[in-house]
Amino acid sequence: MAHKHRFMVVDDELIVRESLAAWLEKEAAVVDRAESGEQALDLMQQNLYDILFVDIKMPGMGGFGLLERVRQAYPTTVVVIITAYGTVEYAVEAMKLGANDFLVKPFDPEGLSLLVAKLLEHKRLLEEKQYLQSQVSRCWGGPDEIIGQSKGMLELFEQIVEIAASDTSVLILGETGTGKELIARAIHANSNRLGGPFVPINCGAIPESLMEAEIFGFEKGSFTGAIRPKKGLIEVAEGGTLFLDEVGEVSVKMQVDLLRVLQDKTFFRVGGVAPIKADFRLISATHRDLNDEVAKGNFRQDFYYRINVITLRVPPLRERREDIPLLVRHFIKNFAQETNRNVDSITDEAMQILVEYDWPGNIRELENVVERAVVTARKTIIGPDAFSYLKADVICAPRESAALTLEAAEIAHIRRVLDQEDWNISRAAKILQVDRTTLHKKIRRYGLERASQELSTTPERA
Amino acid sequence: MDKSKKRESVVSRTQAIIAVIPLGDSDSGLLQVVADSLQGVLRLPVDLKSAIPLPEESYMASRGQYNAMAIIKRLAEIYADGYLKVIGVTTYDLANPILTYVFGEAYMNGVSAVMSSFRLWAGTGNQTVSREHFLERAVKVAIHEIGHTFNIPHCHTDRCVMRSSHNLIELDHKLNYMCGYCELFLAEALTKALKEHPTDLKRQETA
Ligand SMILES: Nc1ncnc2c1ncn2[C@@H]1O[C@H](COP(=O)(O)OP(=O)(O)OP(=O)(O)O)[C@@H](O)[C@H]1O
Ligand SMILES: [Zn+2]
Ligand SMILES: [Zn+2]
Repeated sequence: MAHKHRFMVVDDELIVRESLAAWLEKEAAVVDRAESGEQALDLMQQNLYDILFVDIKMPGMGGFGLLERVRQAYPTTVVVIITAYGTVEYAVEAMKLGANDFLVKPFDPEGLSLLVAKLLEHKRLLEEKQYLQSQVSRCWGGPDEIIGQSKGMLELFEQIVEIAASDTSVLILGETGTGKELIARAIHANSNRLGGPFVPINCGAIPESLMEAEIFGFEKGSFTGAIRPKKGLIEVAEGGTLFLDEVGEVSVKMQVDLLRVLQDKTFFRVGGVAPIKADFRLISATHRDLNDEVAKGNFRQDFYYRINVITLRVPPLRERREDIPLLVRHFIKNFAQETNRNVDSITDEAMQILVEYDWPGNIRELENVVERAVVTARKTIIGPDAFSYLKADVICAPRESAALTLEAAEIAHIRRVLDQEDWNISRAAKILQVDRTTLHKKIRRYGLERASQELSTTPERA
Repeated sequence: MDKSKKRESVVSRTQAIIAVIPLGDSDSGLLQVVADSLQGVLRLPVDLKSAIPLPEESYMASRGQYNAMAIIKRLAEIYADGYLKVIGVTTYDLANPILTYVFGEAYMNGVSAVMSSFRLWAGTGNQTVSREHFLERAVKVAIHEIGHTFNIPHCHTDRCVMRSSHNLIELDHKLNYMCGYCELFLAEALTKALKEHPTDLKRQETA
């Protein structure tokens, strides 16, 4: 979850688009503009929006048509209808069709401000609820053993041992699912801080509104709901290692605060006046190009230097295919035990499919694929049938060399999962084991589009 | 021809790269206070220019108000070459195509801002507030809008001047300066802006 809100203004009138978008941009949001419902739907394929502001009267599919499509395909996106004085009855009809609210032009600035605040609060509560629920299942640790005999991994193991003893900050770079958290745990386990806790924080999963209290803790009465003081994760990590996963998602304000802690080695709880000593080693991880984010002004350079004293790169699985058989056997053993199944091996032919596949989701994807094979296995040995769905693309793909690139494989895989899930981004993201933002980005980067035959079934309304 | 005109405006100013532009009939005390407080916040010399009329195209006859969006567009066209940022100050009521009124207006990262003192006199009932109170309000609006031109978004710190405020109670609740975060972001934006405008600075040196 990127912490910036994303809005879209859909209006055929340039002046309305511009004024409203400029106003919304001051809320630290990313604001896109669309001239028509059709263009809005295109943009929605590429990005996830918090709120759409939709003019009801537009040529083409119009506001009603767009509303209908959005309600079907993006049920959680908030839609605010814009009408002019004299056409308010349309707004009422739109509310019946599932719009969340409406505005009559010209708006009273207080009203607009209250409305946006109310809708964002609604979204915030939903996100917080989701986050708090996810915390329950977070405790599952999994086996800590790192498998790997490839040159890249052996080098990485050496580096881990070398750097573990020092207390310098480490930044781990690598694609999603390559095992960054596992590497962070290994550094901790090899350091003098082993006696202390390893505290992981997934910065992409904590809503910004909870972040400060989660990390710094709070004193009783510092805000409504703070009925007793609570330790922040920095305090919990005392004597141990703090792991900031998805550090690229930390807001700039939080970067300022964290930098201060790293420099001063002390911090304050929210609402607290007594400085608390901070004693942790920082390990961060990201799949983003932070250099690029710094250049774009999304990430603070001073903070970047602080967290990036030592850099480790975890190679993607497709660059260390020789590790695949080891990992597969490791996962078969684990899952067979865990699920109490009598599965113990895999045929060469089946293994070959796994070795040749490109693993855009890296080890996490491999883990899921093997789990599925173990759970559905009818014999003690897993055969090639269990993985035929992975091979399908390679066979169907045209034989030109372009289609054999990693990218082509990834595109085909994403498209297949999207089609299979009827382009439900949340479900597809879950299967692909990436967050929705990442999936949206890939869809945009590769220009993927939903097959268009359904478009015509929506009746047009102006 | 155009060039010589620009040169003139550059040469005529002292070191200033921020300008306050009175729009239409002016309130000279107000202008001075706005210019001084911006100079204090930005720690950069601020020019107080002579008045220009409100741009004709910005008048919205049906509403009897001036369109703030049109004004900042015009200000940017006129002054972008000579100054880093400019803020127009008017005593007339401002609105924009979608809002019934605005105290001030600026694009994020834009060159120009505009503010109106029209609504800042109102007290409880039919009363007006003291001149001091009025000036205090104007200063907050000016700093807030200039803040936007340095790409600072609305802040959620309780009394920070960059907090959004859409009525006078909220405006009065704010302090007339930025919180620690916004101040830091402003300082960085200023450094960056000055670096990215070397020509401006050079012209000043030769001036
Ligand atoms: N070398 C490895 N040996 C065994 N299991 C591994 C290895 N690398 C990763 N895994 C497993 O793969 C899964 C994903 O690993 P992990 O969560 O560390 O990846 P990540 O890079 O942190 O992912 P993300 O970027 O999505 O946070 C975990 O279940 C982990 O146990
Ligand atoms: Zn503002
Ligand atoms: Zn602030």
